[in-house]
Amino acid sequence: MANIFPKSANFLPIKIGLGLSVIGLLVVAGVWYYFTPKYTRVGYQPTQPVAYSHALHVGQLGMDCRYCHSFVDQAAHANIPNSQTCNNCHKEGGVQWDNPKLAVLRQSVEKNIPIQWKQIHLVPDYVYFNHSAHVNRGVSCVSCHGQINEMEVVWQDKPLSMGWCLECHRAPQNNLRPLAKVYDLNWTAASEGKNQLEVGKQLVAEWNVRPPTNCAGCHR
Amino acid sequence: MKRQFQHPPEAANGKRYWRSLNELADKPEFKEWLHREFPAGAAEMETDGLSRRNFLRLMGASMALAGLGLAGCRRPEAFLVPYTKSPEWIVPGKTLQYATSMPRRRGAFPLLATVVDGRPIKLDGNPNAPLSNGGSDIFAQGAILDLYDPDRAKEFKKNGDVVTAKDFADELDRMAASFATNKGEGLAFLTESNPSPTLSRLRGELAKKFPALRWASYEPLGNQNEIDAAQAVLGGRYQTVAKYDKADVILSLDCDFLASEDGGLEAIRGFAAGRRRLEEKGAKMNRLYTVESRFSLTGGMADHRLRMNSSDIGVFAQTLAAAISAGGKADDQWISELAKDLIANKGKSLVVAGGQQPVGVHALVYTINSLLGNIGQTVLVIPALTEATLSIQQLVTDINAGKVTALFVLGGNPAFNAPAELNWADVQKKVSTVIRHSLHEDETSAITSAVTWQIPAAHFLETWGDARGRDGTYLSRQPMILPLWGGISETQILTRLLGLVPAVAAPAAAGAAAPAATTPPTAFPAETPEHVQETFKQIAKVTGDIANAWRQFVHDGFLANSAFASVTTSAKGFGAQLAKPSTPDAYEVTFYTANIDDGRYINNGWLQELPEPMTKLTWDNAALISPALAKKLGLDMPGGTSGFPGVEPIDKPGTNVSVQPELGSKNGFPMIEITANGRTLVLPALISPGQADHSIAIAVGYGRTTIGHVGKGSGFNAYTLRTSENTGFITGVSVKKVAGGYNLAITQEHNSMEGRGLAREITLEDNAKNPGWVQQIGESSHMPGYKEGFPAIYQADQPKLDAAMQWGMVIDLNTCVGCNACMIACQAENNIPIVGKDQVINGREMHWIRNDRYFSGEMEDPQMIVQPVACMQCENAPCETVCPVNATVHSDDGLNVMAYNRCIGTRYCANNCPYKVRRFNFFGYNERPLDQLYWGPLAKKGSAETIKMQKNPNVTVRMRGVMEKCTYCVQRIEEAKINQLRIAKDTPNTIVKADSFQSACQQVCPAEAIVFGDIKNPESKVSKLKNNTRNYAMLDYLGIKPRTSYLGRVRNPNPAMPGAEKVGTASPIEHEGGGHDEHGAAPAHGSEHGEKH
Repeated sequence: MANIFPKSANFLPIKIGLGLSVIGLLVVAGVWYYFTPKYTRVGYQPTQPVAYSHALHVGQLGMDCRYCHSFVDQAAHANIPNSQTCNNCHKEGGVQWDNPKLAVLRQSVEKNIPIQWKQIHLVPDYVYFNHSAHVNRGVSCVSCHGQINEMEVVWQDKPLSMGWCLECHRAPQNNLRPLAKVYDLNWTAASEGKNQLEVGKQLVAEWNVRPPTNCAGCHR
Repeated sequence: MKRQFQHPPEAANGKRYWRSLNELADKPEFKEWLHREFPAGAAEMETDGLSRRNFLRLMGASMALAGLGLAGCRRPEAFLVPYTKSPEWIVPGKTLQYATSMPRRRGAFPLLATVVDGRPIKLDGNPNAPLSNGGSDIFAQGAILDLYDPDRAKEFKKNGDVVTAKDFADELDRMAASFATNKGEGLAFLTESNPSPTLSRLRGELAKKFPALRWASYEPLGNQNEIDAAQAVLGGRYQTVAKYDKADVILSLDCDFLASEDGGLEAIRGFAAGRRRLEEKGAKMNRLYTVESRFSLTGGMADHRLRMNSSDIGVFAQTLAAAISAGGKADDQWISELAKDLIANKGKSLVVAGGQQPVGVHALVYTINSLLGNIGQTVLVIPALTEATLSIQQLVTDINAGKVTALFVLGGNPAFNAPAELNWADVQKKVSTVIRHSLHEDETSAITSAVTWQIPAAHFLETWGDARGRDGTYLSRQPMILPLWGGISETQILTRLLGLVPAVAAPAAAGAAAPAATTPPTAFPAETPEHVQETFKQIAKVTGDIANAWRQFVHDGFLANSAFASVTTSAKGFGAQLAKPSTPDAYEVTFYTANIDDGRYINNGWLQELPEPMTKLTWDNAALISPALAKKLGLDMPGGTSGFPGVEPIDKPGTNVSVQPELGSKNGFPMIEITANGRTLVLPALISPGQADHSIAIAVGYGRTTIGHVGKGSGFNAYTLRTSENTGFITGVSVKKVAGGYNLAITQEHNSMEGRGLAREITLEDNAKNPGWVQQIGESSHMPGYKEGFPAIYQADQPKLDAAMQWGMVIDLNTCVGCNACMIACQAENNIPIVGKDQVINGREMHWIRNDRYFSGEMEDPQMIVQPVACMQCENAPCETVCPVNATVHSDDGLNVMAYNRCIGTRYCANNCPYKVRRFNFFGYNERPLDQLYWGPLAKKGSAETIKMQKNPNVTVRMRGVMEKCTYCVQRIEEAKINQLRIAKDTPNTIVKADSFQSACQQVCPAEAIVFGDIKNPESKVSKLKNNTRNYAMLDYLGIKPRTSYLGRVRNPNPAMPGAEKVGTASPIEHEGGGHDEHGAAPAHGSEHGEKH
């Protein structure tokens, strides 16, 4: 009786095995790379209901972060400004009130409808990040949010993953700056002719900076 | 749960861009292909000439888009929705605290409500108010869940049909008009006893407008007997405020003042202050004598406890009064020595009687206190907080005589808890119009008259109001939230009847100026404080503009120095005959309140699942009987094997006993039938050590028939036995065993310490003689705790405990009375779910802190000691070494922390925990209804929206399959640390000020028995207590270095009393030092030593 399978079929299981393991490796490598926040989160740049430009307000006009994000140094959340805050300048007869781009704001002020901003920087629900703990201790907005002052439309600039957080919590000297410069997003140690590491190390020592690296620091 | 977003429909310009994919995805041909591909089928692709390579590339991209950008498992789009106009004071993510008060029948309770984004999430005592130290009790803690109870009454109903609030408002206007013509003849009110000056003022106004109206009040568990006794012997409508802190010798006559006697909070605080005098040089620790039928928490704290039928206590009091008059001479040694001790402490002693005791006993107590010179010292007599009204009995007589045509039943639940012989259900039917105003649609709502209105009541956290505190202090109440389901308050009903309806502003057109014209409302406008302000003006005697004074009052929560002045008076003799002593074979039934009060909290899952302090029974009530009665009835208790059924001594007499059968018995507990005055009740029997032999205790409030999901089918209704004649206890009761069994969910199956000295106690005398006694008990005497170099459970990656602050806790067993307030406070603070009766039977309750209760001495008449146990935050934690995924690890400030998201649910940690304090989420308790836990995917998902509103946003809501445990309230620790960082700014001053914040259990503890803080800071309270001679760690010989330690309990027996030699000897003192490891069984060893004392 003739053989049903040709002789080359003897190697088929090995080939299949090899093929499967290569595919498996590719899947693992793909997940490893593509499923990390570094890849999936960074660059998220939704269109907001009002085309608010940080580049214009902060970069050109020089507004302080805390004019709008008024509780950033008091509370866990850096609050999104209420419509009233925008309305302080963009009031009837004031700056750009009739600009069609501000239709949503006008509607919000007149009809008391809140503006629904898209959340960009979103950490998981089991993470309890606190803005006030950072900005009051020399961590600038720019360290986590990037050059917001140059962004026309805000995107997520950093992965905000746990590993990324820990990089700084383990070595805060890389990001600390004098308190006066926290909201100055263009400041760098180099701009004053200093070395960031030296500035940071000095501040860590002077201020007794010990960021938590245990679970309870962020997870409760 | 941390944030919740209402996802609105996507905006027209809401496209998302992904840097990695947008290049490809934006090409028009690709988009077209995406749209065409699936409907058109693959055959088309051939004709379009797509190469295989292209196909794969596009498929890959479309899957990536489907996964990340379009639908399916992409990151959910979240919205940030700021206010349009910010309300004053609100900082997103920060809590606010408002002073308010909780109405209670014996005087309101000052509270601070914690509010997050307009939702109250926690209630605590107002630390600034008189008679409060910031502590609270289980009801104050549980009330927040009642507010959000999804089973609350939500609709205005007429004869069962849903109507509008306007219909009811019109009905009230019509009634006001029609009763105005006949002076209110036929109009009647039945209310709870609520010491609110505003309600009482409005009642006065109503009485002026309708002079013939009838106003009755009824409380099943009020203090009517005490007030009646005052009327008899003091000649006025008075009540008392007992100053427990000033008393050196306290005698409780069937008065569970530390627990079920309402208003126990000041009592606990005062009693604990008296216990704490142990630490003061030259001061005297107080001594407590208790005479009672049911073994209560007060009996457990007592230095001398006498078991006695409640019905015999009258005679006891008479004999005692005679003995005191005779300078301490009595036939009975117990009474004579007690009398001598009381006489020796004239003016510093205190005698109290329980609310269930008859008028005669209360009158005698006034006499005894008067004889001892206590009145004005330890007993303050103040005017009664409530005014005299008709009784429910008088109201029933009038209704039966046809004199009532319209009846308002405001609050309460008479159909359930009125005296049985009144047959309230039939009586209420005779009234042609009944207006029922209640928080839940209950038994009383279910009774149908010719016209029945059901009106949803607003919760006390939803309304304006005021009240008198326990000592008469005037307290404010303000709404924390608008009525969730449109309920209205009593004030709104009464003012509508009075025609005091506030004119309401017409809805303002957008942007228009304030409207000049106002129109009368058609329904009930949002409540304003104007009626309370009117009362405030009178009480505070403010003339002119009250704005500032009112603001201060609402802000503080109380009016300073507004407590009633005590009346100087002395008691006259009281000649009435007291209850006859019981005959040897007759039984009595006594009624008491457990966790659900008079039944009003039966739909409150937290309170239902809270173990009753003595029996550790949850979700039900049972007839508590003595071991002797169980033997006599031949009851076959589950799990019992030796001695007599159900009662199995574990240790030798003189140490500890175990009485309850094993947990979760499938056979059920035997049923008994109790017959009293022709009324019968069948319910399960539970052996309660220390129960008087001829007395049976039953908790009231259970067995409700018309109630929401939680309380359905819970317990047995003891009110069916209760009549006007016998509100506290019934004598001449017969008991028999009947067929059947019933499963009870009991959380503590084992009542013995097995000689390991978990909770430790000693007498006052020995404590002075041998200050190091606490280290000489149980295993501690053989194997001392951790020492440097001592082999620890793990050492390799021992965390460096080098943070600037190190957290620790001390629990003082000498002041802890076991009231369980910490358990509910923890539940409210830490989003702990309830699991339901079946799961409690399986041993799956979730409480992070539990109260262990141990008995010592003889089974029939034991002593009791309680010990709160939560995670000890061991420095060498055994749980951490066994976790395969590092979900539980140590922090540098000494916490054993849990990362819920890492936990995979192996439960190794719980197995390795020597204290058994870890809790596992066997089901998604927050996601599934408790009766559908086993339904798998068929179960209804999600929880009620309002229940979600209660959750603390700073604590993760745990999901199925993860382990959880006490964290020392890590959210509060981190908040305090971060606050300090905000203050520190560019200085190195990062150390949190000592004792500047509290854990939830510490905050709630009225006895201040739990102290938490920084043990590295020598200034903190906890550091000082760690140096106390009574400080010991539980199971410290394991070398695990627990951060929580205990202070041993000290009892203060009177050496002259009979049985004094047995008090406080349960902890056997062994040798000093270590080195003995060849001993036999510790209990035997222990008892041998223990008997020497």
